Amino acid sequence: MAFPNKEPVPKEVIYMQMVQDSCIFKVALSGVAGFALGGLFGMFFSSFEMTPYDPAVYEQPMKQQLKATAKDMIKRSFSTAKNFAIVGAIFSGTECIIEEYRAKNDIYNGTAAGCITGAVLAAKAGPQAALIGCAGFAAFSTAIDYYLRRE
Amino acid sequence: MSFYPFGGGSSGGGSSQQQAVNAQNVAMAENELEMITDTFYRIVDSCYKKCIPPKYIEGELNKGESVCIDRCVAKYFEVNTKVGEALQKRGQQAGVGGAVTGFGA
Repeated sequence: MAFPNKEPVPKEVIYMQMVQDSCIFKVALSGVAGFALGGLFGMFFSSFEMTPYDPAVYEQPMKQQLKATAKDMIKRSFSTAKNFAIVGAIFSGTECIIEEYRAKNDIYNGTAAGCITGAVLAAKAGPQAALIGCAGFAAFSTAIDYYLRRE
Repeated sequence: MSFYPFGGGSSGGGSSQQQAVNAQNVAMAENELEMITDTFYRIVDSCYKKCIPPKYIEGELNKGESVCIDRCVAKYFEVNTKVGEALQKRGQQAGVGGAVTGFGA
């Protein structure tokens, strides 16, 4: 049943919208964005944490020192990027699944997804740490969602 | 749900008979179209009230709302079917019972 004078939406646009709304696409997008952001953060914060170098490094010529520093920076930023990507993917995936299950779009999807993500990330450190992680991440996610949804 | 239930292939007798049949077909088709349009707008109204909360952030449907509308339309048709079946059963029972009582009275 089409409204009069409305142009039919081309099939490609509908297909693109369907793909963009799917959970898998959102997880992939969050993973890639998390990776990029984590890489930037890692590169920035790696300058603050100097691992105790082997003093022999300082004896080597400038180029070697630069190469060693660069290698350390890349390793650190890669590990941060990976962590951010995993966090982003888990959060986005759980939020999408919860929203699809509830068939509602409100602020509590982010809270529940944050709790699950926090618990999963802190699971290795025991149940108490998982609870604290859940509460913390849920509060963080709710705050950000509230800020983004205010009018 | 066909629009022209009797088809256009009724080869009747004289032209006047064909005219009467065509008029009846047209009337039935009009009724059916009206029924379908009414059902469509009822579904749109009901699912809109159920699924779309009054605070609008953007113009496009997000994932939760799309899923809700899919389920709403499916449920509406299922309810339609079930109520139709229940009514039919009652009609049959009433028809049978009515015939018996009518005969007895």
